[in-house]
Amino acid sequence: MPQIGSFTLLLALVLSAYAFLVGIIAIVRKDDRLGETARRAGIAVWIAVTASATALVISAFRNDFSLAYILEHSNRALPLPYKFAALWSGQEGSLLFWCWLLATYGFILRLRHKVDTRLVAHASVIMSGVQIFFLLLVNFAAHPFAMTVGAIPPDGNGLNPLLQYPEMVIHPPMLYLGYVGMTVPFAFALAALIMKYPGEKWIHITRRWTMVGWAFLTCGIFLGSYWAYKVLGWGGWWGWDPVENASLLPWLTGTAFLHSVMMQEKRGMMKTWNMWLIFSTFLLSILGTFLTRSGVVSSVHAFAQSGIGVWFVWFMAITFATCVFFYVKNKDHLRSEHQLESLISRESSFLFNNVLLLVSAFAVLWGTLFPVLSEWVQGHKITVGPPFFNKVNIPIALCLLLLTAVGPLLAWRRTSTESLKRNFLVPAILALLTAVVLAFGGMKPWADIANFYALVAISLSVLVAATVFSEFWRGGRVIARHNNTNVFAGMVQLTRRNTRRYGGYIVHIGVIIVIIGFAGSAFYQSKEKEMGFGDKMNIGPYTLVCRSYTQDDNPNYRSETAMLDIYKNGKKIDTMYPQRRVYKASEQPATIVANRSTIEEDLYLVYTGVNPDTGNPIIKAHLNPLVWWIWAGAHILVIGTIIALFPNMQASKQALTEKERARALAAAGRTGSTAGAD
Amino acid sequence: MNLLLILQMSSGQPDASNSSFIFFGCILFAIALFVYIFSPSRVETSEEKSRLSFLYERKDQIYENLRDLNFEYKAGKLSDSDFNSMRDSMEQEAAAILAEIDRLEKLQNGLNPLRGSQNKGARA
Repeated sequence: MPQIGSFTLLLALVLSAYAFLVGIIAIVRKDDRLGETARRAGIAVWIAVTASATALVISAFRNDFSLAYILEHSNRALPLPYKFAALWSGQEGSLLFWCWLLATYGFILRLRHKVDTRLVAHASVIMSGVQIFFLLLVNFAAHPFAMTVGAIPPDGNGLNPLLQYPEMVIHPPMLYLGYVGMTVPFAFALAALIMKYPGEKWIHITRRWTMVGWAFLTCGIFLGSYWAYKVLGWGGWWGWDPVENASLLPWLTGTAFLHSVMMQEKRGMMKTWNMWLIFSTFLLSILGTFLTRSGVVSSVHAFAQSGIGVWFVWFMAITFATCVFFYVKNKDHLRSEHQLESLISRESSFLFNNVLLLVSAFAVLWGTLFPVLSEWVQGHKITVGPPFFNKVNIPIALCLLLLTAVGPLLAWRRTSTESLKRNFLVPAILALLTAVVLAFGGMKPWADIANFYALVAISLSVLVAATVFSEFWRGGRVIARHNNTNVFAGMVQLTRRNTRRYGGYIVHIGVIIVIIGFAGSAFYQSKEKEMGFGDKMNIGPYTLVCRSYTQDDNPNYRSETAMLDIYKNGKKIDTMYPQRRVYKASEQPATIVANRSTIEEDLYLVYTGVNPDTGNPIIKAHLNPLVWWIWAGAHILVIGTIIALFPNMQASKQALTEKERARALAAAGRTGSTAGAD
Repeated sequence: MNLLLILQMSSGQPDASNSSFIFFGCILFAIALFVYIFSPSRVETSEEKSRLSFLYERKDQIYENLRDLNFEYKAGKLSDSDFNSMRDSMEQEAAAILAEIDRLEKLQNGLNPLRGSQNKGARA
């Protein structure tokens, strides 16, 4: 297997180089036949990288410890799904996985080249360039098929215990699919700039690709957050860790791009802005990969220190230089067709939304890289903690929430105060009423800044919900009148007619539900206590009683578990089992959190250790309100994105009509020629 | 490391028969890929995008914007004055594009009458 893996990796590099170089020659010479061989070479890259990735997975299944990577990241007792996940558990394997995902995106892109063969040929060359970089890395800097030095041990070191969770099997592929997915719109944007592609068709072609990449990135971020909550045992779901931040950066710029690109489609505006947004999104995806792998920042997620950071720095520098070169060369092509007509318009709301997202991205980037920069300038590392990120990002998030409410109700070009009043009066009254009820219902915004933010967040969420509902209601009513159905059938019809817009509104609903979940963090509380048999601990409305504690041993790990009866208002409602494990292969400990999640709050129990004097377990209990809302909102967000990905009902009908028309024209042509022959 | 592994494979030192089998398998795999790459049966090409096709796209987009505007007006989101002024400006935009389309089509008809009639067919 190692030989097959190594051979196919090298073959993939040769084929990528061919697809890149011959692709360029074919474009310059306008040689379509040569271009076709480059396209096919790109397809062949996918076959070769798939063979290589398969070889690594089979090696993990066969416990082939002659491979250093398998020795480091697997062991015989490891369950099969985690052996499969070994593909992306370490530096070398995850880079191979990156290569495979990129090759897969490229494969689909090249199969669908008929949408515009010339544009796809240009994009294909750019994707090959990116592919070459990653294949160079896995062939020469981080080889996944490197052999074990010396005698081969009978068993491997095992997978990092923190990664032995079902969420961790899905989280990295999702995140990588998002990171890598941003290569496609980047390649199309740069291709459109290079060839001075007239019009916005490239945006239509890449719209779904961008949304797919964004959706995967969103899933990856939420799964990572869920994993951090369930596995790390600190009671929180976001710690502003550098690697978490790295995944947030392309998400922020990608979100800005998804919004502002609508201005380009609708009105031919913001072309330069959009071009740089997608360039930045791609570069930040690469930066995210670099931060995770180079070891320049310390993180619970990062791989060990390695020398591949220099490769990434060069790659980012070359990519940036290429973008700047073609931008300077062809910037006239990006001239806006219209100017902003009014500050109260849909365009300006998108513009403000973009500015806020970019300010947030810059603050996160600054805070993430500050330790590195401070060490470089002053000689010692200054770490920026969560207070900095919260201080900057919470007000920005609240302003974004306000724009999420305002934007959909503003018209393109300009909106009069009369229209503003007509659309905002009811939602604004509802939001104000919510604020008053919450303030006097016990939230006390004057007591603490966190309480104030929570109150504003929930009130603005109500404002967004009201504006989104009014959009559905008004649109549904028009359709219902026209089709003679009820309003709800009208709303469904409305969504099917414009999936992107109304799917987008469902995404906004998901966002506000997530924000309500975030607002709950202002009221988190925790307690820690040693719990002997029959001992009690009170937290919020709950009473925890220790029934027993046990120890267990299996081939993969040793464990200690506490058994706690949970009472609420004097009535027993559950039994919970927080656990602590020590994995034998690595002798590394891990916590298995016991979490009882309801729509109101999570009761989150951690087995933190044992008192060596008494032998009793020490239990930390967290009471976290509204966490359930975060995960529920994430689901709605993904559902909304999936709806937005569906083609419009009318559009598909129109496409059919066009096809029929084309067929009719072709038929007419045939008849004409026959008639001519006659 | 990569080259070393492949050389080891071709020399067949540790397990000669197995390594030779893998080596020939890999060579066959590479040959199959090269045959696929260099034997394209037919080549698909699309026409280079012209200013005219760009204008058709813009025209479709403006019509879609007009449909959206109309829908928002019916939904009660816009006042009469907002609707009328926005519709006017969109119609002016559409008229400018249609005028340019006509001009380019006439120019094209002058150069190639057959192609001009095809364009009209496509617009119908």
